[in-house]
Amino acid sequence: MSALRLALLLAGPALCAGVGLGAVDHDRLTPIQAVAGYGADFAAIAVGLIVWRRRPESRTGILLVLFGFAFALPDLRIVFHGSPAAQTAGMAAIEVVVPVFGLLVLSYPTGRLASRVDRGLVVAGFSLAAGYALLELLFLSPREPHAGGYTECFECADPWTHVKTYDVLGIRDGLDVAISVLALLFLVRLVRKLLVTTRRQREVVLPLAFAGTFVAVEFIVQISVFGAQVDSWTNRAWFWIVVASTLVVPLSLAAGLLWGRGARAAVADLVLELERTPPVPVRDALARTLGDPSLELALWLPEQRAFVDGAGDRVDPTSSAERTVTVLGPNDSPLAALIHDPALLERRALLDSAGAAARLALENERLQAELRAQLVEIRRSRARIVEAGDQERRRLERDLHDGAQQRLLSLGLALQLARARLGAGGNGADDLLAEADGELRAALDELRELAQGIHPAVLTEQGLGPALRTLAERSPVPVRIESVPDERLPGPAEAAVYFLVSEALANVAKHAQATSVRLRVAQAGSAVAVELEDDGVGGANPDGSGLRGLADRVQALDGTVAIVSEPGAGTRIRAEIPCA
Amino acid sequence: MATTALVVDDHPSFRRFACRLLEAGGFDVVGAVADGASVLPAVRKARPDVVLLDVLLPDESGLEVAEQLAAEPNGPVVVLTSSRSAADFGDALARSSARGFIGKRDLTASALSALVGEP
Repeated sequence: MSALRLALLLAGPALCAGVGLGAVDHDRLTPIQAVAGYGADFAAIAVGLIVWRRRPESRTGILLVLFGFAFALPDLRIVFHGSPAAQTAGMAAIEVVVPVFGLLVLSYPTGRLASRVDRGLVVAGFSLAAGYALLELLFLSPREPHAGGYTECFECADPWTHVKTYDVLGIRDGLDVAISVLALLFLVRLVRKLLVTTRRQREVVLPLAFAGTFVAVEFIVQISVFGAQVDSWTNRAWFWIVVASTLVVPLSLAAGLLWGRGARAAVADLVLELERTPPVPVRDALARTLGDPSLELALWLPEQRAFVDGAGDRVDPTSSAERTVTVLGPNDSPLAALIHDPALLERRALLDSAGAAARLALENERLQAELRAQLVEIRRSRARIVEAGDQERRRLERDLHDGAQQRLLSLGLALQLARARLGAGGNGADDLLAEADGELRAALDELRELAQGIHPAVLTEQGLGPALRTLAERSPVPVRIESVPDERLPGPAEAAVYFLVSEALANVAKHAQATSVRLRVAQAGSAVAVELEDDGVGGANPDGSGLRGLADRVQALDGTVAIVSEPGAGTRIRAEIPCA
Repeated sequence: MATTALVVDDHPSFRRFACRLLEAGGFDVVGAVADGASVLPAVRKARPDVVLLDVLLPDESGLEVAEQLAAEPNGPVVVLTSSRSAADFGDALARSSARGFIGKRDLTASALSALVGEP
């Protein structure tokens, strides 16, 4: 393939220079016209070869090379005017120019026609071209231009295929009408192509679409206004229009190529941007680089064997007409998936290099996503454990209350009844019963304490306010309650506040040597704030098991605890517990 | 004439012993029920002078039942009782229209008489 390209690379300039020199030599063109005209042909061949090399998967390069050669080859007739071979090749080649051009524009940028309508249009174009070629090759003589030929050349040979010279002007006119209709249809398809493409695709297609429109309009004007009589060799103004229309195609493609070169700079920018601190979200950086603001990024979590979006929710990226999924990394263990505008596939190289450049940042983001997912799960399970513990405590307390305690109380009533029946006598049995009653009361007290410690009944029945007041009443150090919320809070929040205050008051009684404690509990928005301050010796260790335990309980509910305990300055505990 | 009483408690053994204790103490126990919903019909039927009412009933709170009884014309005297201590109910007992509260461990016929006898 590269040998073929090399051959074409040598043949192109040689052909253009040859026919250019020939045209000047035969006084067909001025040197300036020759340079401009064949320079445009050469530009098409050169750009075609570059596109062919850089985007081998696209046929656009080959088509452009073909277009350039088809434009220059027919003029060999001028250089080798006496040669029937040159006349034959020239007549055939000139007719190929128009359909090749149509194919080039309609199939851009892949070089392949996607729609049946476009394929039909191009096939019709080539069929008409074959019709023209047959007409010329069989019945036209270059020496009799008025019979329908367009090049006066009295010293030229007839082509090999020449059968007999006929006046075919009428048939030509018919073909001209047909080709004009095709050119109009081509314009319609071009406009439609622009309308249905996405913003991104339009950027790619627009330059060549412009060139296509220019040439098609020129072509229609040429046929409908001048008919077959127009001759760019003799009509000077028309010559320049033809040159311009030849040049506009390679120029628009070169513009696309330059724009493609910008892709490398864009990837370099991306690398720099991703290294910036604080880090930019990788999605945003990729969206900017790829020029697709609708770009979505899904990260692969190997543990879950699923893609997740930025919020950590599972997604299942699938390609559709509007969205294409490009998976980055190996297929069995992908890194991420880009869900993007299908037009980006036309810039596969940019997509791949941007994906590669973002690899490290994506890996980072994925680790963070995994960590976040785990953290959320741990937080939830911690809250669940505390909640389950609270429920278990409530159940135990309830069981003690409904079971053992009720039986002991009934037993107490039975003892009372027995004592009443027995009266004062009975061999000291009354003393024994009185003693039994005393034991029973002690057992009831201990049971009540036990139940109270497991889960305070007052908290279940009456809520935080009464429960905290009960705690305050029992505290050996006087407690001044400044405020407690009147309304009931969610169970876990109430339990957390209660046990926090209970543990803190126990600590005050044990270590603080305080004379008073100030307690403030207030609901602030969707959280409840607890503030407890003593006037003791301070110096409490926040990591002591009691304080650590209550901090754990509060943090399990996503709350915060701050303990300030400078030696000699009392201890102050502030906590905030969500209760939404 | 003996003071008539209705005992409301969901624990069968306690209900049984409480009835016998009050009978032994000179009360005429005219009924015993196990839940809040049965209280009003029983009171309307037997017209007791006093209702010994457990605070923690399976269907509704004894405190609510006490308010229903207070709304009855010529309703009975209501005395609340519970295995829990008065402190466990905060100020709910004080706000209640019941005559008083006796902890279950302190329940005797004389303690009840003392409360009912109060003007």
